[in-house]
Amino acid sequence: MKFVVLTKAAVPLSTAIRIDPKTGTLVREGVPLSTNQWDRDAVEFALKLRDRYGGEVIAISMAPPSGIPALESLIGMGVDKAILATDRVFAGADTWATSYVLAKTIEKYVPDYTLILAGEETIDSTTAHVGAQVASHLNIPYVYYVYDAEIQGNKIRVKRFLEDEGVDEYYEMELPALISVAKGTQMPREVSLSRKLNAREKIMQATNKELGLDPECVGLKGSPTFVATQTGATFPPRKRKIYQGDPRESVKALVEELKKEGLL
Amino acid sequence: MPCKLWPPVNKEEYKGVWVYLEHDGTKLKDVALELLGKARDLAAKRGNAPVGGVLVAGTDEMAQEAIYHGADKVVVIVNPELKVYTPYEYANAIAKVVAKYKPEIFLIGGTKRGREIAAFIANTLATGITADCTALEIDPKTGDLLQIRPTFGGTQMATIKTPQRRPQMASVRPGVFPKPPRDVNRKGEIIHESVELNGRRTVFLGAEKRIERDIADLPPVESADVVVAGGRGLGSAEGFKLLVELAKLLNGTVAASLMAVRAGWAPHTRQVGQTGKTIRPKLYIAVGISGAVQHMMGIQESKYIVAINSDPNAPIVQNADYAIVGDYKQIVPLLIEEIKKAKGIK
Repeated sequence: MKFVVLTKAAVPLSTAIRIDPKTGTLVREGVPLSTNQWDRDAVEFALKLRDRYGGEVIAISMAPPSGIPALESLIGMGVDKAILATDRVFAGADTWATSYVLAKTIEKYVPDYTLILAGEETIDSTTAHVGAQVASHLNIPYVYYVYDAEIQGNKIRVKRFLEDEGVDEYYEMELPALISVAKGTQMPREVSLSRKLNAREKIMQATNKELGLDPECVGLKGSPTFVATQTGATFPPRKRKIYQGDPRESVKALVEELKKEGLL
Repeated sequence: MPCKLWPPVNKEEYKGVWVYLEHDGTKLKDVALELLGKARDLAAKRGNAPVGGVLVAGTDEMAQEAIYHGADKVVVIVNPELKVYTPYEYANAIAKVVAKYKPEIFLIGGTKRGREIAAFIANTLATGITADCTALEIDPKTGDLLQIRPTFGGTQMATIKTPQRRPQMASVRPGVFPKPPRDVNRKGEIIHESVELNGRRTVFLGAEKRIERDIADLPPVESADVVVAGGRGLGSAEGFKLLVELAKLLNGTVAASLMAVRAGWAPHTRQVGQTGKTIRPKLYIAVGISGAVQHMMGIQESKYIVAINSDPNAPIVQNADYAIVGDYKQIVPLLIEEIKKAKGIK
């Protein structure tokens, strides 16, 4: 069985971000990237399935070459091999163009895949789009927010939890299929240094020369959406009256203010 | 030359603002009604374009309710194969109806199910989509939809456009837009469509309600005028008892931050913030919540924010109208006592 995990080499939130002034997109070139933390749940889930059913786990990512260390860490977790789709023409992609490259990479290099796994969403973009869009490009069934799965023959049974309804649901899908793994449900295993040894040999890079995709359908050009403007978020101004010191005096002052504003 | 995988689009053919009408089997979800209100607003700016709705396996009563809240036309998909929700089949069916009726704009509620199908629908229609918009506007120059969303952990606001493709699609979380008034004099058209499925690939096997003990018999967080919320700073589930007492005194309700929900001190239904609910109460009291950007995103529409926190450098202290720096175990009982005095309660 072949378990393909979609992973994003994301810009950690602690990093000062840079926006390309021409395209309004996030600059990932030359920035230290690390695997989106929710994708590690998906990787862990795939490793458990492999341990149970046999086969291999292949991580696939689209990123600049600075995404390689993120893939090395995944090899260190136990991923068998990784494919990095990397080309300048892929830059500035929205989720349509990203999922298109990922789907085509899978079709070319892992055509006999059993299951595709994605993290629930990314920490930097938080769209949760790419999983469903890869499923759409490949025309395969999919279920999001999965925390448990069982494979029987050419079918997979999944359990998922819908947070907003407080409901557990059970589905069965034909394989191949795609699942997104609910964040925070898997306890990703540690990166082992011995496993990470020679990780580079297990990472294959594919440029658009190998993938042979129409340059009009990838990157910024292949993106139906584009960022018109991007600015720092601002919140409505607040009064910012801060009370410190004697608690009783502070509370009295606050209650006076609340009364004045008609809130009591 | 645009990507050849995208069929050519004649923008003139696309008219109106349509909404996916998610329901729970008995009634429309609030977010569907909220989106109808926004759809009317956007349609007005597009030369009084029509407002439409797509309902899967819903009743005519639900369709009528959508009309009362602003829809001119509702398409009900009646295929018995779609009686029960499965993502792949629902997304395909909805995409077929949208492709047939060609709205200029199609909006989807950012519930868990809505987020699951939105991007698949967009791809099937070879168009773009923007997730979790917090504002939607019409570009006065081009007439394009401006899809405004927080990104990069909420530190940035991006305005996104889909100039070449139609429909323009966006998802919006519950509670972001106000619910429009219900007007029983509004008239509209209900159309039944039996959409053909290209085979079934997903089977629903069953569901179970997770039993979650609520912390108190209090109203839901999205409807209360006063919300008292607790975070990691409470230190334990025990801390919520004080908050419940304060909330009851103010005729309000209790909410929790992501950290408090993760710790198991409060159920997920009470979570506010970017990953929880967006709320807009008159008064929001944050106790032991540091105020990460993700949290602020969900509460920024509060009229007044009060913070009670032991750390004077916590972001929430800097972003509140009134902040008391100190130990909540000392502050909250004093606050309860003073409010009782102010209200003349012994």
